[in-house]
Amino acid sequence: MEGAPIEQMDDADLMLRVCDQDDEAAFALLVSRHQRSLLNFFARSGVQYDSEDLVQQTFLRLYRYRQRYQATAKFTTFLFLLARQVWIDELRRRQRRQRLAESLAAEPYEEFAAPADSSAGVAGDLDLARALAALPEGLRQVVELAVYQGLPYAEVAAILGIPVGTVKSRMFNALAKLRALLGEERGDKP
Amino acid sequence: MNLYAHLSELPDAEATAFRTLVAHLRSLPQREPSPLLTARILAAVAAERTHHPTLSAQRPTRTPNPGPGTQDPGTPPPRLWRWVAAAAGLLVAVTLFNRQAAPVSIDDDPVAWLAARQEADGSWLPARHGGDPAYRPALTALAALALAHDPSARFHDGVRRACDALAALQTPDGAFGGEGRVRAYNQVLATCALAALAPQDGPAAAALERAVAYSSAGQSPEGGWDYEPDSAGNAAVTAWQVRALSAAAARGVAQANVPLRKGLRWLRSAARDEGGVSYHPGAPGRSEGLAALAAHTLMTSGKPFDGLPALGRRLVAGLRAADGGADCYRDYAMVMAFESAGEIARAEAVRQDMRRRLQANAPDPWEPIGGALYTRAFTALAARQ
Repeated sequence: MEGAPIEQMDDADLMLRVCDQDDEAAFALLVSRHQRSLLNFFARSGVQYDSEDLVQQTFLRLYRYRQRYQATAKFTTFLFLLARQVWIDELRRRQRRQRLAESLAAEPYEEFAAPADSSAGVAGDLDLARALAALPEGLRQVVELAVYQGLPYAEVAAILGIPVGTVKSRMFNALAKLRALLGEERGDKP
Repeated sequence: MNLYAHLSELPDAEATAFRTLVAHLRSLPQREPSPLLTARILAAVAAERTHHPTLSAQRPTRTPNPGPGTQDPGTPPPRLWRWVAAAAGLLVAVTLFNRQAAPVSIDDDPVAWLAARQEADGSWLPARHGGDPAYRPALTALAALALAHDPSARFHDGVRRACDALAALQTPDGAFGGEGRVRAYNQVLATCALAALAPQDGPAAAALERAVAYSSAGQSPEGGWDYEPDSAGNAAVTAWQVRALSAAAARGVAQANVPLRKGLRWLRSAARDEGGVSYHPGAPGRSEGLAALAAHTLMTSGKPFDGLPALGRRLVAGLRAADGGADCYRDYAMVMAFESAGEIARAEAVRQDMRRRLQANAPDPWEPIGGALYTRAFTALAARQ
């Protein structure tokens, strides 16, 4: 790929240029190619207004840990491993904020209090997006990676650190649960 | 195996239903990145290089499972060695040059601490310092005000870049992002900073005009502001709005005058005869931080109005001593109120407590919201000039 224009290089070759030459143009191309999928990865997790900050954190980690990448691995596997870790850290921060908000609820005033839980959504009927956000995290991540990112099950398994068989069972359970949630919403069940 | 191979293993009826469901999932609207996102990310990486030039040579202390096909970092690339050599050379030069100087930790100087953490785009990222990323405009505004509060002009360039960053973070409607209370505090603090710091011309000055228009449109008929819909106002947000509008009016933003007068009238009505300020009109309860903030606002923003400075002084006289727990927001408001009322000794006592807590790294109840940026900015803003 030495002679190919940089725009035509695949992700693995771009990442090697970032690792070996600290190539800013290659890094910018990776950002440009993957920022949208990462943005929606976080947005579908229930993050309303700070998804772009999480995308930024993911790319910062990609740069920080670039020497850990090896060309034999698929780039998206590495990227979503990092994104998942960013999301886990964000969940931990939210739990801390939730504890703070709960402790402040007993106080007479909240002058700079934590935002309301964005995953609660707006009032109204449960729609598909809300049903997806309502899935348990383990099921939702399988849907995110296999349905939205279109990753093969082996790659989903590598990112989540679970066997392929577990990916299959989680996917089945996720789709069944989504159907049930939507069916309840439509009044299919008593 | 992929999703469709998996579905084909299922009974026909189930597979068909799941395929339809997957198609619906994929048809959900997607969010588009903002036009500046790539630039923001690259600026953050550039700042990382500046602040941590040896980063890629370090073994990360916490990394995700590298998974198959990834490996430990090898020898750092040659370009990195140039960074390391440059940084080492600079360190040696500075050490030799400053050999006689007393060592001063940057952590003892909250303004220098903040300046060292300004991003390449001029903003501050709360998420990097233990805060909530949603408050990026608010924390950028607080940090910019803290830099400007420093008596030297050493941070002049940082203040200018912060103003540009706030202008870039503003949305076309004049707000600064977020919902509910996030939106409210992003708005008031960014407007305060722009009113105090923006040059008379340019993008930041235009952003201030839009911000004032947005604030004016959000004022309740009674004259207050709140983050709850259909509320007459709450005293905390209203006090900050009044401070912002007062600063804007002082620099000649004419559209700030009417909402400022209405806001002052509302804030006056929140003061109780027995002392203290009601968070919502008529509500019971007492907060020293809120009373101090309102007192300072009435004394410094209400000079053209009869009785408001006197009302502020009366509120200050009724302030109770802090309970000893760390709360940089309350302490900042107390210092400002005591200073405005001319009670210098009481202000200095609170300042000393703030410095002691900062040096002891005492946890602050607001840290999960604003992180270390928040505590250091308020400590710097409360410092005596």
